[in-house]
Amino acid sequence: MSRLMFDHIEAFYRPSNIPEAFRLLARGAGRARIVAGGTHVAAQADRSIRFLVDITRLGLDYVQQGSKACLIGAGTTLAGLENSPAMLELADGILARAASTSGSVQRRNMATVGGDLANASPASDLATVLLALDALVVVADSRGRRKIPLSDFFSGPHRTALGRALIVEIVVPALPRGGHVGWSFQKLGRTESDISVVSVAAGLQVDLRGCCQWARIALGGVGPTPLRAQSAENRLVGQQWERDVVERACDAVAREVRPITDLRASAEYRREMSLVLARRALAECAARGGCPL
Amino acid sequence: MNSERSIVGKNVRKVDGIKLVTGRPAFTDDIHIPGMLCGKILPSPHAHARIKRIDTRKAKALPGVHAVLTYKDVPRVPHTTAGQTWPEPSPYDTYLLDSKVRFVGDRVAAVAAESRAIAEEALRLIEVDYEILPAVLDMEHAMDRGAPVIHDEKDSKGIHDASRNLAAYILREIGSTEEGFRESELVIEREFRTQRQQHCPLEPHITISWLDSDNRLVIRSSTQVPYHARRQVAMILQIPVQRVHVIKPRIGGGFGGKQEMLLEDMCGALTLATRRPVKIEYTREEEFYMARSRHPQILRIKMGVKRDGTLMANEMTVLATTGAYGSHADTVQGNTGSKVLPIYRTPNMRFECHVVYTNTPVAGAFRGYGCPQGYFAQESVMDEIAHELGMDPIELRRKNMIRAGDLDQLSAELGEGKKGLPRLIRSCGLPQCLDRGAAAIDWESKRKVGPNGVRPLGERGSPLRRGVGMACSMQGSGIAGIDWASALLKMNEDGSFNLQVGASDVGTGADTVLAQIAAETLGVATDKIIVCSSDTDFTPFDVGAYASSTTIISGGAVKKAAEKVREQILSVASKMLDEPADNLTCRDNQVVTKCECRKSVTIADVALHAMYKEKLQIMDGASHFNTDSPPPFCAQFAEVEVDTETGRIRVLNLVTAVDLGLAINPMQAEGQAEGAVAQSLGYALSEEMMLDDSGRMVNPSFRDYKIFTAKDMPNITTILVETEEPLGPYGAKSIAEVPINAPAPAVANAIYHAIGVRFRKLPIRPEDVLRALREKAGLPHR
Amino acid sequence: MKTMEIRLKVNGESKQWSIAPGDLLLDVLRREGYFGVKRGCERGECGACTVLVNDKAINSCVMFAAQAEGCEVITIEGLARGDELDPVQEAFLDHGAVQCGYCTPGMILNAKALLTRCPHPTEEQVRDLLAGNYCRCTGYRKPVEAVLAAAQAGDRRNKAKKSTRSAGATRP
Repeated sequence: MSRLMFDHIEAFYRPSNIPEAFRLLARGAGRARIVAGGTHVAAQADRSIRFLVDITRLGLDYVQQGSKACLIGAGTTLAGLENSPAMLELADGILARAASTSGSVQRRNMATVGGDLANASPASDLATVLLALDALVVVADSRGRRKIPLSDFFSGPHRTALGRALIVEIVVPALPRGGHVGWSFQKLGRTESDISVVSVAAGLQVDLRGCCQWARIALGGVGPTPLRAQSAENRLVGQQWERDVVERACDAVAREVRPITDLRASAEYRREMSLVLARRALAECAARGGCPL
Repeated sequence: MNSERSIVGKNVRKVDGIKLVTGRPAFTDDIHIPGMLCGKILPSPHAHARIKRIDTRKAKALPGVHAVLTYKDVPRVPHTTAGQTWPEPSPYDTYLLDSKVRFVGDRVAAVAAESRAIAEEALRLIEVDYEILPAVLDMEHAMDRGAPVIHDEKDSKGIHDASRNLAAYILREIGSTEEGFRESELVIEREFRTQRQQHCPLEPHITISWLDSDNRLVIRSSTQVPYHARRQVAMILQIPVQRVHVIKPRIGGGFGGKQEMLLEDMCGALTLATRRPVKIEYTREEEFYMARSRHPQILRIKMGVKRDGTLMANEMTVLATTGAYGSHADTVQGNTGSKVLPIYRTPNMRFECHVVYTNTPVAGAFRGYGCPQGYFAQESVMDEIAHELGMDPIELRRKNMIRAGDLDQLSAELGEGKKGLPRLIRSCGLPQCLDRGAAAIDWESKRKVGPNGVRPLGERGSPLRRGVGMACSMQGSGIAGIDWASALLKMNEDGSFNLQVGASDVGTGADTVLAQIAAETLGVATDKIIVCSSDTDFTPFDVGAYASSTTIISGGAVKKAAEKVREQILSVASKMLDEPADNLTCRDNQVVTKCECRKSVTIADVALHAMYKEKLQIMDGASHFNTDSPPPFCAQFAEVEVDTETGRIRVLNLVTAVDLGLAINPMQAEGQAEGAVAQSLGYALSEEMMLDDSGRMVNPSFRDYKIFTAKDMPNITTILVETEEPLGPYGAKSIAEVPINAPAPAVANAIYHAIGVRFRKLPIRPEDVLRALREKAGLPHR
Repeated sequence: MKTMEIRLKVNGESKQWSIAPGDLLLDVLRREGYFGVKRGCERGECGACTVLVNDKAINSCVMFAAQAEGCEVITIEGLARGDELDPVQEAFLDHGAVQCGYCTPGMILNAKALLTRCPHPTEEQVRDLLAGNYCRCTGYRKPVEAVLAAAQAGDRRNKAKKSTRSAGATRP
């Protein structure tokens, strides 16, 4: 890593409101970069950057649990998510859990959920869970705000629909209620502290007659972006919650993922682990929801 | 044990402990030197190339650049970077800068500039035209006819056969293995492969050098071998040794990676060129591929036994690569033979090894020094033999292990690069290590489950399987007849002492242990000893921190020096007390009579009296070496849990029972064992330097070179077994290296117990486990 | 080269420093003489550079110094009071948790932050915490023990303080 980037920085700004942030970014003419926790910006050391715009003072650090949705400020740190009572409640705490496995304590104290999504790692634990929660991303630019479903937000490894906009908020809509509802987050790395080789976030709703009403299975590390195994989900919804139904859904997961071979794992292993983790995730969802197989 | 000992054997707090927990400036980089320049090395992007043209004009013209060096600017002096006693057994095949580069990361040029940013910019402005040469990356093809010759230069020396890329070749035999196999009733022959491991000291290599007011070159460096570095720098820069002053401050870990003269020569060259202080500090990335690493090996081992378990023959044939330069090539691999095979009383042993050059990152000394590779192979096969014979693996060890009183002949054949001395085993606690270790892990009941260890956890259908395995090992304590040390001790008027030792504490706690030995011998509290270590101007010679030599060899010198000083103290006290010296003893910061009359005088009073009445500076020094290298012994036991669906292996428990002779500082000794275990578990399960097919390391960061963190560690238990070695101060041998040798085979053997699959390649990765399970079940590959 | 001023507190002392906008907190701290903050990887991976910023443990190698504006920074140098060591420092020494000492400042600060917000951590919590401080020397066992011991020592000290207070002692 080169130190050259840091010597070429001409100015470090700390705007206190969003319009000011945009003005500064625009003035930077492509050589300005947003920094929040700094864990990506400082580590990546992009030599073309001349201006840094610190967005940690824009009041984006909040978690608000409402009746219709849960609103998470993009500037909320991973540690903030991990320790938030609302997050520990939400979806059996899987978002808090994903935050807690996203790096060391020091990293979690700095890194923000907005920064994580903007970085768009295909293996992001947070993104994987948010995908299973049908989250939306609220982005703001000089023209105003708009909401983008997270499923439309990532366009490729480290590529998003963000453009020159700023992520300001993540919206988790109201989650299914009634009957048996359970959530799970499973993660596999090379060691206990690792970027996920494969991760699965799942949610399940089974009615009192044993029929699956709703299912979400999202995976990280097995495609160019975190993805939802929709055909697997479709094999569950409307079906009786039974072992061979689950197995067929897991098989579908394995067919749906698009893993690559890299220095962390082979594509074959990732594909196989998608199935294993999906199966474990669904079992945990069912156990938590009170309808174990 | 001697119950009269008051300091040795106690958990005295580290003498440098307060400094470290309060973050006082103590490490190489913890100084500001006005005018210091930043030095940086331009690494080769190619695995094998000749520099056809190198133009440094633009770099030199960059404002803030004070020097740019290429091979044209520096003397060409063949040398080895290995920190070994002179004459070093490693080949002299390295040059400060050369017109040829031999691995991705090899030195092309160096700059010194006013800031890191300017230095980096200067590197980018150096223009190099390379003639790219075909590279040898695969050690199995390095000796092929027609393979590119990596060291085709005329002036290198000590290479076994450069035309075949053969850095070193070793062949030693005791008895006749051919006959031994004929007499065997079971012969097992297997092949094992081990990977490149990097030391990952938390403090990367760093050196600062400057010219002092007497125009001497001062080098302040993170090194394990200050004296070797001094000699080598003088030779390479062609200045007299007396003009070089090397200082070793606190070091942030070495593990063998700093048993090397790595940056000191280049830093010194830049200082001489600029007349300014220069700092070269490796980034973590550079530390990964431009420093040193453990030699990867392919080991073929063939062992023959009788049905009753008696070993008849042991033949190990090794192919290793030393990377692009031959640092420690002969000696590490020599150890793979000499410290591994003879742990068992096999009448016929044969060890043959080819160490080849490849265009890959350079290997060197790494804790264990050839033993981790050898023990992985040997202890795995011992486990297999035990299984075949229906014998408990511990029983098989007991039947064959070397004992106190035995003579280890193979060591005589395999000294450090030349014929060595036979090793007499004067102390051997391996039986107790086996007993106590086995009890600690509950071996009996955990093994009962049967060879495939099917022990479903919790509910039916759980994919988890547990197993236990064991392995044992020995090492050495210092290099017989070669490692030596010296110490100077002088008394201050308040009864404190300055202990000056060349010994290098690299975080190991050596300063503390040596202070304890001095204090015990002098009969004073440890806090009366002021340790000054590793400064070539102020401390006498010591080979440095390697070969597990500090406690036994440096400690031996300290004890001798302290004994001499004690004589002087008693002589002065005898005058003060009007008692013959042989009726006096030193104890509890006093000199007291041995007899009932109970006369005494404080050590402080003796000091004052000596200084101001006798006008005598109480002081003395001593040198020490051993003609033998008493091995520490170690038995390690692992309990693992294998997830048969994901292939992930969790180590649940790791017990280390180690005979270290005597623990001068038990808590520190345990700490050594525990750190070694962590490195060995990483070696077994997660660490690997990965190279792409152009020879570039693809994972030079902690993100992708996975060392164990606090979350990965199993429960560790460390049991210290004491056997009182006659050759060691107060009976001490060593513990620095031996616990790194057996965890990997213990884990591999435990995995076999759990799932019935043997792994012969490190690291053992989840994908390998799944593939093997599938093969075992006769299922097709996915 | 452009410079900017930052105002912050370091170990309780007010500081006003002139920095380059792109300076990282690690570099500035070391430049200003806080040598206890170590450089290990410069990528926020090893934790050797850990300092506390507003009571939170962070990796100073990936934090821009400018972001410390108005913050309270604690480095290892700020822990001891003269010769009196912090209980975590004492525990590290008593339990042999220090070998080369390079990771030690980061570990101790990280542990301090934990014990402040969670005075009774479990072993699992301590291991999770220390997973952010790489150590190649100790195998982590003694550092974990030291942190748990410091927690217990903290308990005993608090109980002693409470009983002193309730006994109507005049000294704070």
